[in-house]
Amino acid sequence: MTTTAPVSQVSDVVLEELVQVLGSDHVLTNVTDRYARTRVPAPFPVHRWRDYVPDLVVMPGSTEEVAEVVRVANRHRVPVVPRDGGTGLTDGARPERRGIVIDVKRMDQIEEIDLQNRTCTVGVGINMLKLNEVLAAHNLIYPDDPASYPCSLVGGRIGTSGWSLIGSRFGHTRDLVLSFDFVLPTGRVIRVGDGGPKTSKSSSGYQLKHLFMGHQGTLGVATRATLKLFPKPEAEFSPFWAFTDFDSAYRTVQALAHAGVATFAGAVLFDEEKVAYLRRDDEAYIPQPGDVRSLVCSVAYGNEDEVRAGAKRLMRIARDHGARYLGDEISEGDWAARHDRYATPLHGRTRANQVVPMSWHCEDAAINWTQLPRVRQEWHRIVARIRERFDAFDDWGMFFYTSASTGVDYLTEIDVGIWEQQLSDEMWEAWVEAKRDIAGVALDAGGSISACHGSCREGEVDLVPTELGGGYDVMLKVKRALDPNNIMNPGKYGLDRAYGPSGDGAGTSETGKEVS
Amino acid sequence: MADQESGSGNEPLVTEPPAHTNGNGHRQGGPEQTAEFVAEWRNAAYNCFSSGHKFCREVCPVTQVTRNESWTPTAFHANVVAMEQGDMAIEDMAADYVNCTQCGACELRCPNTLFTGDFYRFRTKTVELVKAVRALAVDNDVHQPGWQRWNQLTDQRTHEPVLGEVPVDQEHVRDWADGLDIPIGGENILFVDCEAAFYRTSLPRAVAQILQTAGYEFGLMQEQWCCGGPAAEMGYVDQARRFAEHNLANWRASGAKRILVLDPHDYISFTEEYPKFFGDDYDIEIVLVVELFAELIREGRLTPSVPIERTVTYHDPCRLNKRKGIWSEPREILRAIPGLEFKDVDRVTQWSYCSGAGAGLIIEKPELTAAISGRRMDRAAELDVDTLVSACPWSERPLSEAGSERSIDVVDIHEILAESLDIEVGGRTST
Repeated sequence: MTTTAPVSQVSDVVLEELVQVLGSDHVLTNVTDRYARTRVPAPFPVHRWRDYVPDLVVMPGSTEEVAEVVRVANRHRVPVVPRDGGTGLTDGARPERRGIVIDVKRMDQIEEIDLQNRTCTVGVGINMLKLNEVLAAHNLIYPDDPASYPCSLVGGRIGTSGWSLIGSRFGHTRDLVLSFDFVLPTGRVIRVGDGGPKTSKSSSGYQLKHLFMGHQGTLGVATRATLKLFPKPEAEFSPFWAFTDFDSAYRTVQALAHAGVATFAGAVLFDEEKVAYLRRDDEAYIPQPGDVRSLVCSVAYGNEDEVRAGAKRLMRIARDHGARYLGDEISEGDWAARHDRYATPLHGRTRANQVVPMSWHCEDAAINWTQLPRVRQEWHRIVARIRERFDAFDDWGMFFYTSASTGVDYLTEIDVGIWEQQLSDEMWEAWVEAKRDIAGVALDAGGSISACHGSCREGEVDLVPTELGGGYDVMLKVKRALDPNNIMNPGKYGLDRAYGPSGDGAGTSETGKEVS
Repeated sequence: MADQESGSGNEPLVTEPPAHTNGNGHRQGGPEQTAEFVAEWRNAAYNCFSSGHKFCREVCPVTQVTRNESWTPTAFHANVVAMEQGDMAIEDMAADYVNCTQCGACELRCPNTLFTGDFYRFRTKTVELVKAVRALAVDNDVHQPGWQRWNQLTDQRTHEPVLGEVPVDQEHVRDWADGLDIPIGGENILFVDCEAAFYRTSLPRAVAQILQTAGYEFGLMQEQWCCGGPAAEMGYVDQARRFAEHNLANWRASGAKRILVLDPHDYISFTEEYPKFFGDDYDIEIVLVVELFAELIREGRLTPSVPIERTVTYHDPCRLNKRKGIWSEPREILRAIPGLEFKDVDRVTQWSYCSGAGAGLIIEKPELTAAISGRRMDRAAELDVDTLVSACPWSERPLSEAGSERSIDVVDIHEILAESLDIEVGGRTST
């Protein structure tokens, strides 16, 4: 049978050098190996899959092997794409220019658990759930808790500067990763962190840790990380409350955040569209009376006596704001569900109410509490417009999650169902335009395009220079300084412009200023 | 019977359309068959491709030891989408699908099972998909050398060759029962799988003598063949059906109404494969011995009384726990045995455990089986136990090998129960 899979463009010389570094077992060239390393969640219209297939995949087992692979690639000017879990929602791990995918999953060893200083050092290919299974024996936890907790990996959390559901208490990935080994695009290995490998605060020199987190693989590859550990909480309190309208739920969620309860680990607000969607297509999830139109859930972790005291206060605040507690069973079950599965039934409806298979597209932003109602209104309007034009889009409602314990800002998320099997290029273009509009609303509201996923997908990525202001020019300079040959995940974040229109190195930024 | 799914009489949620066959009713490869395959699997595959959550990955025993994303349940689904797009052919894919023990953990962990499952009772069926791809490969003459030889030998001997230097043939299939005075035929037939009949003979001897102790009447088959399940798991569907036809005919000829099964793999064959082959004509009751023994203990017909001074943990066999939802009865039996210190690990944690022996992995890639068994025994070693109790003969060889390196004995649950019932089992547990 003849197939249409793209032929590898990597030369035999490169292949041979990689095999010398890694052995043939860990240099993969089969079509299945390459296709599997293109996949990310809800990635692109399926007929474009072959456009993003890498030429080959390597599975190094150590920092030194990663560095050697990068040196080979840099010498031969072959693109390199780091891949960890491949669960990111902004396509960081998707190869734009084929090349070599560096899949770090074999690097999943726990090298050290330091019980005295409460740190552990791991290969970045380890998954948090798996790590916590081991830490549990020591009554410890690594509390980096995204919705992808059962499948995402520590390295991907570094590459995206991940956001955690319980970050309001324990911090997000940037706070939890103390240091890491990092392979630069030239193959040089550096250690990045808050000072020493295990220190959590340093005032010495430039603070580079933030720079090397959240770059979506454009600056290099993290290989080995030292993480901050916490005592495994004795108790969890995870109430769900119902409201008859969005406004009361909206006021309540901020009152909870403002309360200053030390064990408060986060709160989530479900808007009316979200509840309507769950009621329509996921009745088993939320069998509630019709006057339940909006929801808030919260979670507290800590020692039992402290959680009990905090819980009393949170319950009182919610009651005073007109909330109706949904009871222990729903509260415990549904909070567990947020960890255990994405709240997405993976089907939606056409305008004629026909159930059809849809995939989940999630747009996120960081928005201040005062701006949430406005962003909510405008985002729903954008999705309504595209649904009006094309029946393959469905509005699955919005969530708002506290990012910090003070209520300063919220991860704001709209879930859009797309019937991708019906998707045409025209519909995809309309969707990209909608994404750009969604990002624009976030910026107009004084927020950030993304609190959580990153912002290098089509559409939103166009507005990154606007969001960062002059900072984007600095980004271009950093990129060019560290990656002189533009081999590291090229094509992401518009960073090609650091190398000029032809990519030959004579770069100017979008604003026309000289950047080299 | 535990929750989750019923055993015998379980209706598959999606019925399998007839595979492409030739004039003789035999399966036949080619483009039309491939098109049928894609048409059947495309929507489920697309659900996985587009969501791309990959919750299946870390719970998969093969992924845990290889870390290779090409050998994950989600890749197995997504490849079907690539096939539909014209980017992959069965020749490209077949070797990847060796890397699966058909344990079913991925199905339980899949958000599409968990979520749409609530609404539509949908269940991701990765095990069925892997079997279908393997069958498509065999039908198109794409063979894995170890499996091809295994199934040829099985066909010649009417039993699996069984690993190592073990003589296997029809003449010796009942040797394990020497001296036990078990009749041939009758309403209740004890079916003994190939590994237990020819290798771990202590197991069927324990089961038979426990049944005798309880006064439960049973006999053996006139001419027992392999259940056919392994052939079905490796893609040799026509052979699997021939073996099933023989066994069913043999049961009917001797008036059997009920088949007693001691091996979880046979239990899958008789409750999932045979109903697919025979449809409504299949009127045989299948009884899992471990469930029967728990019931007999409950009724007071069996009373374990000899104290067993061991510190044990229990290994949930994948085909019982993950595929059939049977996990409480074995624990009930262990708790009924005096003297045992039982350090249990819950069934959900055990979703990510496996011996690595299943679905032919041990034949094609014994080094992966050994690595998976090693990981499983590492978990047992952390509990400070001296014994791991399993309820699956196919798991016991690789687990024993891994156990000996860690000074942990591997004992079959039926054998340990027999010991507590003061039965001198006899037979052998290894070569």
